[in-house]
Amino acid sequence: MISGNAALTGSYDLLQVALSVLIAISASYAALDLAGRVTATRGRAQLTWLLGGSAAMGIGIWAMHYIGMLAFRLPVPLEYDWPTVLLSLLVGILCSAFALVVVSRRRMGLTYALIGSAIMGCGIAALHYIAMAAMRLPAECRFDFRLVALSVVLAVVFSFASLWLAFYFRDEPQDSAWRKLGSALVMGVAISAMHYTGMAAATFIPAAPALDHSHAVSISSLGTLGIAAATLQVLGLAVLSSLVDRRFDSQGLELALTETRLELAHVARIATMGELTASIAHEINQPLTAVVNNGNFALRQVASGAPNLEELREAIAEIVDDGTRASAVISRIRALLQKGAPDRAELDINEVIQEVTILVRHEATLSGTSVRLDLAADLPHVLGDRVQLQQVLINLVINGIEAMRTLTDRPRELLIKSAKNADAVLIQVQDSGKGLDPEQVGRIFEPFFTTKPQGIGMGLSISRSIIESHGGRLWTVPGSSGALFQFTLPTDGNSVS
Amino acid sequence: MNERAPIVFVVDDDPSVRRSIKRLIGSVGLQVELFGSAQEFLLSKRPDVPSCLVLDIRLPGISGLDFQHELAEANIHIPIIFITAHGDIPMTVRAMKAGAVEFLTKPFREQDLLDAIQLALERDRARRQGDAEIAVLRERFESLSPREREVVGMVVSGMLNKQIAADIGTTENTVKVQRSRAMEKMQAQSVADLVKMVERLRSPARKSRVN
Repeated sequence: MISGNAALTGSYDLLQVALSVLIAISASYAALDLAGRVTATRGRAQLTWLLGGSAAMGIGIWAMHYIGMLAFRLPVPLEYDWPTVLLSLLVGILCSAFALVVVSRRRMGLTYALIGSAIMGCGIAALHYIAMAAMRLPAECRFDFRLVALSVVLAVVFSFASLWLAFYFRDEPQDSAWRKLGSALVMGVAISAMHYTGMAAATFIPAAPALDHSHAVSISSLGTLGIAAATLQVLGLAVLSSLVDRRFDSQGLELALTETRLELAHVARIATMGELTASIAHEINQPLTAVVNNGNFALRQVASGAPNLEELREAIAEIVDDGTRASAVISRIRALLQKGAPDRAELDINEVIQEVTILVRHEATLSGTSVRLDLAADLPHVLGDRVQLQQVLINLVINGIEAMRTLTDRPRELLIKSAKNADAVLIQVQDSGKGLDPEQVGRIFEPFFTTKPQGIGMGLSISRSIIESHGGRLWTVPGSSGALFQFTLPTDGNSVS
Repeated sequence: MNERAPIVFVVDDDPSVRRSIKRLIGSVGLQVELFGSAQEFLLSKRPDVPSCLVLDIRLPGISGLDFQHELAEANIHIPIIFITAHGDIPMTVRAMKAGAVEFLTKPFREQDLLDAIQLALERDRARRQGDAEIAVLRERFESLSPREREVVGMVVSGMLNKQIAADIGTTENTVKVQRSRAMEKMQAQSVADLVKMVERLRSPARKSRVN
């Protein structure tokens, strides 16, 4: 080595510098995206994501370094020792795997993040300096150790920032893509800053080639382009597969959600029917009583030997009517208790209201409530699930009846009204109670919110989700006397015949 | 006693149940009147004959149990048979404690209803008879002079003629005369008889309902 020789002046190919920064940003974006996948999946899928993710990210960081180095032009021939190059790639991948493991943990404390970023920063710095060591050129490389230290510090600080960002964004839904892109930008620029600081730390002094050239290869501009293209492709694929996987995930989630909602609606129906047992027993026992009485009367007539045929005929006709009446009640209840996929059919909403009125009649009478119907004639049909709509109405009516239980200074009245409203029908259920507490109005549709001592607070939230699944709206109108709940159902345009 | 045909009143808001009960009770030769609500029943003109009320627990506007209470308050002592499509034990206890004859769950056995009606009519007859007897006794008692009533009160409480005479400041002989005149007016055969009569007059009207 001859001291005193002038240092070689290097120059940068700005296009390649830009390419290296672009790759750094892409790698950062892929890292943020993949961190979310590693967290969201379990078992074998998680391992696959971790391996694939760290490979993609490692290649990204590695490629950034090499393109950054290739962008540096020296007036001497430059070659690379490929085993050392491979070693640096391995360091890059290990470093990425480590980072992904850190950010996919359930929780991340400050200590954990600090230790993690120290290890990761040192890894990235190692990648950089191993890559430098892979250089084969007729010059001696000298380092300014203050700048080397700065580059390592930058690597650690950038690692810390990226771990926090990745941790923060990993569970975010896709609509945060812009924020994710922003942080990828910051991270990418930070990685580049580290690299170019490291490069600035090095000075090349011409010298006789002292290093082993047996495994050295030279890299052309075409090769540079090849590395860049392959890297971008790998990163693109990683992000794409992550997106696809997430889409599948959310589809599965939606399906599970629909199923859960149906299940919940069913449970709530059973709970409602539990509250209605007295009504149900009454509605079935009434016709049965008449049947038994009329049957006994008929037997007596026949036994008397000289039956009055006209009276006998009347009694038997009533037996038939009451039997039919009882069986109609039973099939209505069976339908309400049955679990099944929603069944959309054209419905006359007035008919649904009348059926519900029969089911809650007993409840109303027991509590001294008079139920008044004000149903518009010639309402268009709605497309809906009869059972679910009955469930909503029963809920609203029972709520109304219970709200008036303590009412003593005025009659307890419940009004159910149907009306035409643009291209929808409007159904209102209004009680004469003291109305909704203004402080609670905002919360009544929340799950598990209840003002009843025995309530579970699911009625209104389920009712709202049922109405919304019918394309309608359920809401409460303030300022009216008593509580007024109303909902709309879109019509299918056909009038009731 | 000269008695006209008894009547069974039925209050149920379900017309088809109402009609079927009428057929059934009518088939054993009883007269039946139907009402859809408690209000209708209250407003009706009821003949003064032995009667009973078949009452549904669930009625529009008022529960059957509350109506039972209202009738008692209004001093209408008609025996009540409750029928309900959905009864529970507290309901039954409340009804029976308040003097109901029977509490039947719909659909009931016809014999149970007919038996209950017979029992209720029996009770009503007995109550009416008791009421009539008390009315006679009261009439007799009111025919006594104030002094005779006073003497009767003392005799019934177990005082001797001498003590009574000392108490009201007269002679034993005068007391004897007043006492025998009072027994004659009350148509009492013995002192024990007189005690029983006064007892009945003193007992509240409600008690006489149950023989």
